[in-house]
Amino acid sequence: MPMMVPYGQRITPDDRTTGARGLMRPRPVDRTVRIVIAVLLSVWFALPVVPLLLWMVADRWSFPAPLPTEWGFSGAASAVTQGAVPAFGRSLVLGLVVAVIATPLGAMAARALTKGSVPAPRLVSGILLAPLALPAFVAVMGLTVVLLRARVPGLVSVVILLVAAAIPYTVYTMRVAYAAHDMAYEEEARTLGASRRHVLWRVHLPLVAPGLARAAFLAFLVGWSDYVITVLVGGGTIVTLPLLVAGSAAGVGNSATVAVLSISAILPPLLLLLLLGRFGRRYPVSNLPGSGSPRSRSAKGFQ
Amino acid sequence: MTPTTTPEARTAGSRHPPWTPVDRDRARRRWLSAALVTPALLVAGFVVIGGIVMSVVQSLGLVPLVGDPQLSLDAYRATAGELVTGIGLSLSIATVSTALSCVIGLTAAVIITQGRVTGRIVAGLSAITIPIPHLVGAASVGLLLSDAGILPRMLGISSGDWPDIVGGAWWVAVVFEYTWKESAFVALVVAGVLASRVAQYDETAALLGASRAQRLRHVVIPLARPAVIICAMIIFVYTLGSYEVAALLGRPYPEPLPVLAFRLFDSITLTSRPEAAAVAVVTTLISLVAVGAGMALLRRTPLWA
Repeated sequence: MPMMVPYGQRITPDDRTTGARGLMRPRPVDRTVRIVIAVLLSVWFALPVVPLLLWMVADRWSFPAPLPTEWGFSGAASAVTQGAVPAFGRSLVLGLVVAVIATPLGAMAARALTKGSVPAPRLVSGILLAPLALPAFVAVMGLTVVLLRARVPGLVSVVILLVAAAIPYTVYTMRVAYAAHDMAYEEEARTLGASRRHVLWRVHLPLVAPGLARAAFLAFLVGWSDYVITVLVGGGTIVTLPLLVAGSAAGVGNSATVAVLSISAILPPLLLLLLLGRFGRRYPVSNLPGSGSPRSRSAKGFQ
Repeated sequence: MTPTTTPEARTAGSRHPPWTPVDRDRARRRWLSAALVTPALLVAGFVVIGGIVMSVVQSLGLVPLVGDPQLSLDAYRATAGELVTGIGLSLSIATVSTALSCVIGLTAAVIITQGRVTGRIVAGLSAITIPIPHLVGAASVGLLLSDAGILPRMLGISSGDWPDIVGGAWWVAVVFEYTWKESAFVALVVAGVLASRVAQYDETAALLGASRAQRLRHVVIPLARPAVIICAMIIFVYTLGSYEVAALLGRPYPEPLPVLAFRLFDSITLTSRPEAAAVAVVTTLISLVAVGAGMALLRRTPLWA
């Protein structure tokens, strides 16, 4: 039965009536529980980072003192003398190389798999995800013999193994991106006379750019934070930032150096993550007047 | 029917040879797809299949550093004792870390999807945890929980009274580090799934009169289950095969499988390479069994399409 509401009458229930309704009844106990859990979770996620922030600026911190007894930047100085700057550069290059190789490989594979014209698709996607299921040290220990006998340089071996480790992430991210991707834009551009290359650079890539950025970030993270593959294949000759962190964390009495090295290993990916959140969003096509997907338009107009 | 048929009709009849435009286009597309998938497939296949096959081959003594290749199980026999303790230890660490990560991560995901200020704070803090390398996490947990760490300082407990969390008998610091990092991972993945799917169902259930506990039990958790199982699989395999955290925060003996494999791999004894490969093969077998169990569990989940 339709309910008639006279013009101008308040239809939002007032406080006396809401008390009786299940959905809008205030629940002080539930609220308190939720806030307590949220606070506990915040402490849980934030606490392990606190020592790094404090030790980073501590020159001396004798034991029972709850805060550093002498503040300063001797940790940074000792990190630099240990070769932190070139190691930082090496890690950066390694992460970028892995991202530059693994992202297009993952995007190409994901595009083919999303279009559904790949032979044996289940087997193919299984193999592409398999590096997630294989511990990195197994791959390295198995393949070192092969790579050494084939005289593949150590750096190339490291990159191959890291790209393989990054492929599951790039393939998965790009499959998600292509699942939401509307192929009709490309078809429409082709119909309007754009060449294949033109469509790729002006239509296809701009549309999947946010997905590409996410995939590249994950691939960068694989190269940037790797320790096992670099140390096993390189045998300690390729000194990246994680190797320095491991080296100084295994020792005693250089907590400030460990903290500085660790923070410099966290900052670049964190900055990238912030950039990703800021610029990595999909361009709001549907909000432009008169636009919208060609697919939806053709569905409206021609069917 | 007239003799001059359309291309569509010709493809439908199997008598005609497959050089119609439609068929040619389909064949071209198949080739293009195969070409697009090949580079990634080659790299992943080479590393995974090559890595497993070569580990098996080396563990059977077929690629010795010196001397003639000879098929034998010596590598497995020589490491049998350490292998058994390693399996038990690695399985325990991986199981406990996975279970705790899933529980904490799921709780965080539920708090995050409530969409209030508290949820946004938890979401932000857990997101910051994601890009921290495990090795850095281990270094930081060491600075937090060791007997001269920040926590005993803050709580005012002297180092003598502080329990052996780092390098202790119960591998607490190792499990703590894994759980910290991986619960953030679970929170991120599950919150994504819940945000996109759960809101409407949750509201519907609420309108139909379900209490909070009922909604959590019958709506939120079943919807999150496939994502949690996938996360659990990834975490279990990762923690089982990860070296740096256990090496940094663990104790020298007994050794988890990756630490044992590392020591044997770097050892100067000539027979130790096959022994390292044997440990690698055993670790791989456990990983594959875990993934198989996870997939079986996933297939029995009603929401897994």
